Amino acid sequence: MKTLATLSLMLISIAAHAETPQQIRQIYATEAAAQQTGFSPSAKRGETLFRQRFALNDKMPACTSCHTDSPLNAGQHSVTGKSVKALAVAANAERFADPAKVEKWFGRNCKEVVGRACTPAEKADFVAYMSEVR
Amino acid sequence: MQKILVWDWPVRLGHWLMVGGFCLAWLTAESETFRLVHVISGAIVLGVATFRLPWGFIGSRYARFAEFVRGPTAVKDYLSSILKLEPAHHVGHNPAGSWAIVILLGLGILTSLAGWAMYNDIGGDLFEELHEGLATSMLIVVLIHLAGVFSGSLLHGENLVRAMLTGFKKGLPEEAIASARPIAAILLLAWVAAAGWFIAN
Repeated sequence: MKTLATLSLMLISIAAHAETPQQIRQIYATEAAAQQTGFSPSAKRGETLFRQRFALNDKMPACTSCHTDSPLNAGQHSVTGKSVKALAVAANAERFADPAKVEKWFGRNCKEVVGRACTPAEKADFVAYMSEVR
Repeated sequence: MQKILVWDWPVRLGHWLMVGGFCLAWLTAESETFRLVHVISGAIVLGVATFRLPWGFIGSRYARFAEFVRGPTAVKDYLSSILKLEPAHHVGHNPAGSWAIVILLGLGILTSLAGWAMYNDIGGDLFEELHEGLATSMLIVVLIHLAGVFSGSLLHGENLVRAMLTGFKKGLPEEAIASARPIAAILLLAWVAAAGWFIAN
């Protein structure tokens, strides 16, 4: 199932660059449902994940260290000070539009901030929150 | 044949700075915590490569592009001499090595410039893809270069890695370079430091 989801992400990224956040959320949700029956993405759980302090990394203990307390705001890189575009789709339509890019940044940032790979369920929740937050 | 000085200081120092910058950049590529280290290591690669270009015209004998850049036929002849296990010995760079140098200098400059653009929010997704693609091609050329250095060292019975450290290779006394050009190496260090400082700020 994981292979299937990864494969569909890859195929989508090859076939078309522009996807909707809903489609990307659906891919993760399908993957999550295979591991956990009755799974349904929750923006609320996504928000909790966004605000959680993992405190594994002094420079970036939480998502909010760089992305600020509101995903609608542009953020600031906690090491370089460079500006980071807003995460929320409402503030930045380019977000969650390219499955390969979404997968790349979940991969990098989960490893460094959460300290492990995020689960498909967490990714589905996170995408749900970022698509819905106004 | 005896041991003669072939590689000047800027060639050797530049080579190993490039190695350090390249490795560090790979190790920190996936990290935001070490993003500044990554940027500085890219700046080192850019600094070395941009110093090496003029040094290829004004450097000592074996550092000059005119001395070692050869066409594809020379590379083919050299590679077939290796396959016959009778490698043609070159005092300076062999033709295969010379291609590695030119390609790695080019890729080093392009990769770091693409990365620099990304760091400054120029070019968007295109430069991000470009940066990653160029870096991967560079890694592939580095691996081929390493394979060439090790097989060449074995076949020539000459430790080419040590030669790049000490500057000494087998040759005739009259083929040696007169000076290791240490002052130019200090200039190289200053140039690389300036590139690092400028790019990271």
